[in-house]
Amino acid sequence: MKKNQAMKIQNLVKSFGSGDNKITVIDGACFTLNKGEFVALVAPSGAGKTTLLMMLGCVLEPTSGRIEIGEEVVYDNKWLVKDDRALRRKKIGFIFQAHYLIPFLNIEDNITLLPYENGEKEEVVKPRVKEIMDYLDMSDKLKSMPSELSGGQNQRIAIARALANNPDIILADEPTAALDKERAISVVKMLKKITREQNVTIIMVTHDDRLFPYCDKVLTIKDKKIDIMVLGENDENV
Amino acid sequence: MINLAAKDISHSLGKFIVTAISVGVLLGIVIVMIGVYRGMVFDAKVLVDDINADIWVVQQDTLGPFAQNSRVHEDLKNQISYQDGIKHAEAITFQTFQMENKYGDFKVMLVGYDPFGDMLVIDKTKLIEGRVLQKQHFEIVVSQKTNYKLGEYIELGRDKFKVVGLTKDTVSNSGDYLIYTSLKDAAILQFTYTNERIRSDEERGIKSGNPHLVNAIIANVKDGFNPKSVARNIERTTHKKVFTQEEQKNLLLEKVIKKSSKQIGMFTVILIVVSIIIIALIIYTMTLEKIKEISILKLIGIPNFTIAKMIIQETVVLGVLAFISGNIFAHFISGGFPKRIVLEMSDAFGLFIVILFSSVLASLFGIYKVIKTDPAQAIGG
Repeated sequence: MKKNQAMKIQNLVKSFGSGDNKITVIDGACFTLNKGEFVALVAPSGAGKTTLLMMLGCVLEPTSGRIEIGEEVVYDNKWLVKDDRALRRKKIGFIFQAHYLIPFLNIEDNITLLPYENGEKEEVVKPRVKEIMDYLDMSDKLKSMPSELSGGQNQRIAIARALANNPDIILADEPTAALDKERAISVVKMLKKITREQNVTIIMVTHDDRLFPYCDKVLTIKDKKIDIMVLGENDENV
Repeated sequence: MINLAAKDISHSLGKFIVTAISVGVLLGIVIVMIGVYRGMVFDAKVLVDDINADIWVVQQDTLGPFAQNSRVHEDLKNQISYQDGIKHAEAITFQTFQMENKYGDFKVMLVGYDPFGDMLVIDKTKLIEGRVLQKQHFEIVVSQKTNYKLGEYIELGRDKFKVVGLTKDTVSNSGDYLIYTSLKDAAILQFTYTNERIRSDEERGIKSGNPHLVNAIIANVKDGFNPKSVARNIERTTHKKVFTQEEQKNLLLEKVIKKSSKQIGMFTVILIVVSIIIIALIIYTMTLEKIKEISILKLIGIPNFTIAKMIIQETVVLGVLAFISGNIFAHFISGGFPKRIVLEMSDAFGLFIVILFSSVLASLFGIYKVIKTDPAQAIGG
């Protein structure tokens, strides 16, 4: 069972402030996600979606609880990893609301930055990037600058960047927020396809319930608690 | 491995070069200030070097003839000539005054010497046109900076002098252009008063005329004699103060230009400090402009070291470009200054090391900002 586990969260709590000013945003979150699952994270504004996402991405330290990524326990009431950034570099990919590509790097450099930082060799990185770009149908854009591409194209490049380091988990913070409905569905289909073909778990923050049919699970933050709804296999939409 | 600094610079190359040139102009001004200081030191010694006398005999208890007034009798040169170890001795006078011609007005120092003496007061390597003085009267050699031409006549006092030679790079310790006449003509210029003054003096019972006073006796020593020993020996046997060439130069540096050079030195230090602060602010601003990208880099897992390396590399490139443009700027403008500017590569490199070291230190503000930046800033919501 644990071999198929992408992430396990137990009694995760996040509070801000102290004493009378203490505000608890997430209170005792528990859920397990498997490899290759496409998960939607839904909550009203201010409910703590980004806070949860940042904790899952090892960017924000929880107040208490336990986080396992794959089989590695990374947090158990304290960080158990020495270098959180190395962990992110190797195991987690990020996609944001906007593409947030580095404007002074061309598309190829944006995508290869992380693998090279991980010490991977050019002969390994280049074929993988070509494969990803072929997969995303963007292989002719490698030498372009982000400013030369459209919003949708840049969002696909952001997905390529998130995939370039072969992550176990991709955290996507409203990746379709800036796109129209057609493009949003196209991006979500692509993410779904990635989860299936690359065996990557994607947690996608979204407000758009029209995207749920593409997801395997929906996490909902309600009254600081996490509800998990399993939607089952929806591969016919892919 | 991707070099972030190179990519960032090439992405905004124009802006980066303009910034580097702006910093370079500032550094250029610092280089020129150092050049002004060097020029003062150079000018302070140039006259003493040109005359190349081993010893200077001046009025007792004075630091003459440059640091203090000195008057000695012209015939003292005969007494000095017979001193042990002396090869030649000559009398010399210095007087400064304002001159005016069609090209403008300027201050000059008139050097009076015996054209038939054994010592070459004019450094022949600096004589670019014409010849040295060959007559006792009415000939003059001038600095080319006075704009007089060879063969032109200059009216000084009651006489007209023919320009027989032009020199270059000949200035007094104050940077005034040098002109040379015979000792006799110099004495006439110095001691011949107006008719009114002569009449007034006669009424008072004062006898006018040439008192045969000069400012110093210069001498060279024979081979094998130590100028210092000869100088001390003359001091013992005459009631005069005697300096060697080195002592005279030290006097000029220590007494005559010390305050001015200190002032310029202080100004230079202030300029360097201001330059460092400006460079620090530029680096900090450049870092702040990229703070969004930096927070994304941090969020996706790029270590601080890689980001700090980018900032330091950009600082170093900025420093190198500023150094190059600063030197070009300094050389470009230095010719337009009225006084000598001595630009030495060693000074420029010294400044480069100081600026580079300080800039890298200053970039630590930017790096501190990077370390403090919250990677979560990249996430909206």
